[in-house]
Amino acid sequence: MAVKKRKERAVGGESGNSKKFKKYSNSKGPMKKNKNDKRKKGKGPRLPSALRTELDRLDPKIASDSDDGIDLDVGNDVYEYEEEVPQEESRKNRRFDPVENYEYELPEDFEDENVPSDEDDDDGDFGVGGNKGSLNDDVDASDGDEEEDDERHLRMLQGVTGMSTDAFGGKKKRNSVVISEAHPESEYNPTRDVLEGDSHITLQDLLDPIQGKAGYSKLRKRVQHMDRKSTSVQAPLPKVDREKLERMAVYEHSKKDITKWEHLVKRNREAPTVFFGGDVDLGFSTVGAIASEFEPRTEFEKKIASLVYDDKVMEAHKADGSKLLELNKISEEDYMKHQDHVAKMRGLLFRHEMKQKRIKKIKSKTYHRLKNKDKLKVESAEMLMDPEAAKEQARKQEFKRAEERMTLKHKNKSKWARRILERGLNAQDEGTRAAMAEQLHQHALLTRKINTVKDSSSSSDSSSDDDDEVSNEDRASELLEKAKEKTLKVLEDDEEVPNSGVLSLPFMVRGMKKRKEEAIEEAKLALQEYEQLEGTNDAENSKPATASGRRVFGRANNEVPDSNKKTKTDNKMKMDNYYGNSDSEDDLKAKENVNIEGGKRNDVEKDVGPNYDRKEAADVSIFKNFEDNGDPGSKTTYEVAIFASDSRRKMKSENGIDKNAKKLQQVKEAIVHDKDMEEGEEDSDSESKQMVDGILSSAPKESYELPSQSELIRHAFAGDYVEEEFEKDKQEILNEENPEPDKPVLLPGWGQWTRVQQKKGLPWWMLKEHEDSKRKREESLKKRKDAQLKHVIISEKVDKKAEKLQTKSLPYPFTSKELFEQSMRMPIGSESNPETAIRSLNRPEVVKKPGVIIKPIKFVEMHHHEKSEDNKRSGQKQKKNKSKGASGKNKKQSN
Amino acid sequence: MGAKKENNDDEMDEKVKKYLRGEAANLEGLKDKKLKGQLAVREDLYGKSAKTAAKIEKWLLPSEGGYLEAEGIEKTWRIKQESIAREIDISSSKNQYDIVLPELGPYTLDFTSNGRYMAAAGRKGHLAIVDMKTLNLIKEIQVKETVRDVVYLHNELFFAVAQKKYPYIYNRDGTELHCLKEHGAVLRLQFLKNHFLLASINKFGQLHYQDVTMGEMVGNFRTGLGRTDVMQVNPFNGVVALGHSSGTVTMWKPTSSVPLVKMLCHPGPVSSLAFHPNGHLMATSGKENKIKIWDLRKFEVIQTMPGHAKTLNFSQKGLLAAGTGSFIKILADFSGSQNYNSYMTHSMAKGYQVGKVLFRPYEDVLGIGHSMGWSSILIPGSGEPNFDSWVANPFETSKQRREKEVHSLLDKLPPETIMLDPTKVGTVRAPQKKEKPTKKEIEAEMEAAIETAKDTDFKKKTKGRNKPSKRAKKRQEMIERAKKPFLEQQIQEHERSRKKQKTNPETEMPKSLQRFVRQKAA
Repeated sequence: MAVKKRKERAVGGESGNSKKFKKYSNSKGPMKKNKNDKRKKGKGPRLPSALRTELDRLDPKIASDSDDGIDLDVGNDVYEYEEEVPQEESRKNRRFDPVENYEYELPEDFEDENVPSDEDDDDGDFGVGGNKGSLNDDVDASDGDEEEDDERHLRMLQGVTGMSTDAFGGKKKRNSVVISEAHPESEYNPTRDVLEGDSHITLQDLLDPIQGKAGYSKLRKRVQHMDRKSTSVQAPLPKVDREKLERMAVYEHSKKDITKWEHLVKRNREAPTVFFGGDVDLGFSTVGAIASEFEPRTEFEKKIASLVYDDKVMEAHKADGSKLLELNKISEEDYMKHQDHVAKMRGLLFRHEMKQKRIKKIKSKTYHRLKNKDKLKVESAEMLMDPEAAKEQARKQEFKRAEERMTLKHKNKSKWARRILERGLNAQDEGTRAAMAEQLHQHALLTRKINTVKDSSSSSDSSSDDDDEVSNEDRASELLEKAKEKTLKVLEDDEEVPNSGVLSLPFMVRGMKKRKEEAIEEAKLALQEYEQLEGTNDAENSKPATASGRRVFGRANNEVPDSNKKTKTDNKMKMDNYYGNSDSEDDLKAKENVNIEGGKRNDVEKDVGPNYDRKEAADVSIFKNFEDNGDPGSKTTYEVAIFASDSRRKMKSENGIDKNAKKLQQVKEAIVHDKDMEEGEEDSDSESKQMVDGILSSAPKESYELPSQSELIRHAFAGDYVEEEFEKDKQEILNEENPEPDKPVLLPGWGQWTRVQQKKGLPWWMLKEHEDSKRKREESLKKRKDAQLKHVIISEKVDKKAEKLQTKSLPYPFTSKELFEQSMRMPIGSESNPETAIRSLNRPEVVKKPGVIIKPIKFVEMHHHEKSEDNKRSGQKQKKNKSKGASGKNKKQSN
Repeated sequence: MGAKKENNDDEMDEKVKKYLRGEAANLEGLKDKKLKGQLAVREDLYGKSAKTAAKIEKWLLPSEGGYLEAEGIEKTWRIKQESIAREIDISSSKNQYDIVLPELGPYTLDFTSNGRYMAAAGRKGHLAIVDMKTLNLIKEIQVKETVRDVVYLHNELFFAVAQKKYPYIYNRDGTELHCLKEHGAVLRLQFLKNHFLLASINKFGQLHYQDVTMGEMVGNFRTGLGRTDVMQVNPFNGVVALGHSSGTVTMWKPTSSVPLVKMLCHPGPVSSLAFHPNGHLMATSGKENKIKIWDLRKFEVIQTMPGHAKTLNFSQKGLLAAGTGSFIKILADFSGSQNYNSYMTHSMAKGYQVGKVLFRPYEDVLGIGHSMGWSSILIPGSGEPNFDSWVANPFETSKQRREKEVHSLLDKLPPETIMLDPTKVGTVRAPQKKEKPTKKEIEAEMEAAIETAKDTDFKKKTKGRNKPSKRAKKRQEMIERAKKPFLEQQIQEHERSRKKQKTNPETEMPKSLQRFVRQKAA
């Protein structure tokens, strides 16, 4: 069919220009269009000349036309082979001459002829026509007409018979072109023309295979029905319009819905009082009542319910219940005991709490410091006693150390510290230096803690190992140093003879002295030995000595264990010294000085006992600490500080006392000052009192002057010039209340150096000002209430106190003063209204019982008479109607 | 029958109108629908209330005041007390008596507000309290001092007496409770029972107001118009009026140091004055032999009558009693045209000098204090026939009295509510001309301005311009700028006052003459 059609068209458009043909050729396939135009036009496909002549002979007309399309049409099968080649070529050449493609582009397998659908005549044709351009419109139209006629006819037939097009023309046409198919026609194997066509598979195509088959009649009918009833669908409206319409519709709907509430709303709005409290019934109010209503719904609930309400269970419970109760019984004694216990515990808890509260309230820094120290002490004691606690402590310390090493928080790392270091320590004041030292010390402490622990644990080891590891120079020198320090320290120790206790007894003191002397001697000996050792060491190996100022002591020798022994005597002490001694030589010098002093005194003693020693050391260190406060490497150590807490406390307390004393003095002074002040105040007070008295006394005494002579005279001749005087009075009062404007005066210097100004008189603006103020005064005088009353003066003074009795502005809903004042004219109190009216006059806008649930408004149909009333309600009749309506409403509401 | 009903309706309407207290608000032009609705409801309620009140009045207050009516050529002022005595019942005739107490000099009287008790004070120190119902003498004391005036306080338990040097307050038993020294030698006393204020005018023309509940001195003003013993309180608004020798009447309130009104009533000294209970009328009498009736709403004379009156008094029903010498004249205006005519006359025995006339409330009785004691005569139609027990109850029991005392104390009005037109309370204040702000206010304003200037936050500026010194400087500048207008104003004011001083005549006069400059009343 399609082929036939095209033929017709081709024939019809014979006289058409070449362009059209080109189009057709294009539509046929790109092979031609990619070829040269000349060739296309002149020769058509590449055919062997023998064949060509043969063809010409067969159909001279077509041959003369030399139309490609016809060529093809005629020899569809014949040229099939030949077609393949140019197609491939075209594809190859495509990139070289793509321009040709611009004119027309369609899929390669496009065939416009084979469009059997309904739209074909309308859309397809016009589409093609449009593609072709306007030049061949008329031609197309004629073509189209023919086609259309055919189509229409077919369709009519189809419509009438309800059979497919194939039944009428299609088959006929198909007969003319015999195409052998490899497979039988079916929906899985579409016909060739379908494949070759525009690739639109129509419903018809799908239906064709089931044409004659049974069981599909229903489907067919339905499709037919659909075909018949098919109507064109309008394009949808723009979104905006559509939504607008939607909204309109919704509005209309909702308006209708809402307006039915209008009368209810209006009623409530107009009612002077709205009552809530109709239904006070709150339903179930107890848990029991609610629970009794419970019905099991879910499976689980039902199961539980069946178990709970099981007769057997109930019975068992009943039977056992008494026993259970018996078990529950507690003897009175037990109960009392329990009660007592609870009370006691509670009491303890309470006491503890109170104590804690009190303690928490203490703000004293000293107290807290001491407390912390105590805590530490306890901890250390615990550490000694309890291996667990020791472990824990060690762990903690380790953690802290790790943290410190990681952050180096105290290693002059902070901004502040860096800044200070940048400036130089010497530039700082003592406090800063001390703080820096403290920080460093803290760092040392934190990083070294672990060592000390290790030391203490392996002190014996190290001491024993020392003999073996003599080669360890540092260690030896250190030990030597330690020993020296220790002895020095002992020498330094300035014994404080306790003033009280057993030690203060004379024989004890003597004994102590003796021992001390011995110790000092020993220490001196030791020191000498050390020095000798050092000297030898220096001589022996000066290399390590040059390394640092510290290592002057050199290698430890046989004496080392000796010193160790000494150090062992007081481990703590040693440690202390060790700590204290990690600084420069200055300190050493200082110590030596002290030492010398100590030697001079000759009352230094040793071997009093470790505890005592400790205390001494602590004391000394403290004193030192106090004495050279500015020393950067302060020698006080933590532990020493702990043990020194007592003495320090003492010191502190002394200091405190001193301070207190000072304070007291100050306070006394202050008190004296205060007293002075008070005295002064008292004086002033008394003065003021006197003054007050004076006032008080003067107030009643206020001079009641005797009527003056003039007044007496006036009395005598009263009535003579009464009116004149009154006039004068009035004038005075008027002047007072509306002062007369100042007369304009010539400004000094104004126009005085030319005479022009003098002649001219005052400047105009002055005159004008004066005139204005004068006029203003006149006006205000005229406005006075007593303007017309010659014999009356009404004061216009504003009473400030009475101002609060009037409103400054109109209260909100009112817009006119008259209306407001008229609405306020009636008192609404119980004194001026009968009992029946008071209630309604004073009823609040909303009357509601407490606890009543206000339910949402309920829709009630409006009665007819109410409606009419509403309509009537307007203008003057408003009042009466309203009152009726309102009362009716109220009744209703309350119902 | 129908006519009667109509008449009744008219009466009712009148009463309703009275209880409506004025025109209903005109809602027609009102645009605010909500307000309109509310006001309509309100008005309706008012109407109902008025109607019920009118009905109740009709039921509960049935008595109507009667008065003498002359027939033919009879004249009411010719009717003597004796002829009245013949016509009336015994209980009424008890009110006609003369008490003759010749020794203790001219007597002055005061009634309690319910008319049950009377206090009489003789010039020579005699004080007596009398129960007028039973005519029992409750208490009698002799203060042995000149007594110039006596006045009851809020009930019969307390009364104030103006004595030689000071006023005193006594209770019913004659115990002296207070001596009000601050008042000085008081000539006349008045009690404002709604405000619990005791007002007094002393020898030196000083007006004192003292709150008798707290004892606080509320006001102390020098009238500057000389000695006077003419003083009357306006029962309508609590304004105290003083009559002066210069012929002026001044009206005072406790919160203003200048008189509210000063009116020239007579060319000669004012001898007495009285107020109508409705507060709209004032009667004054001058030494020039004239009695004038004034309309206080317009401050105009309504009527001038010849005659002299040493004492004047309006009754509850608006009768005016004037006493002079031994003669008493009652003027009445029953027509309501405010034209007072002679209604009754009464002459005392020759030689009796009438010092005070006072109508007894809720009774048709006029009390007369005179030089020879006191008297009581009947004036038909003078007293209010119906009493409101909430206001004043002549048959009050002690319990009621106690309750009423508490109530009246709770309802005590502050002194500032005294004003010429008390109906102005609760209305919108008329726009006033700008009052000069006080010094304190100006200072406060300046402080506030400075504070705001201080508190302003600056923008964070670029590095160089954000120096603290610059910021401080700028802040200072801002403060200065805020201060500037105030300071300028101050300077201006100062200048002005200086100018004024210059123009003051006193400073212009030579020093030697300055003492002759007339001193103005403070």
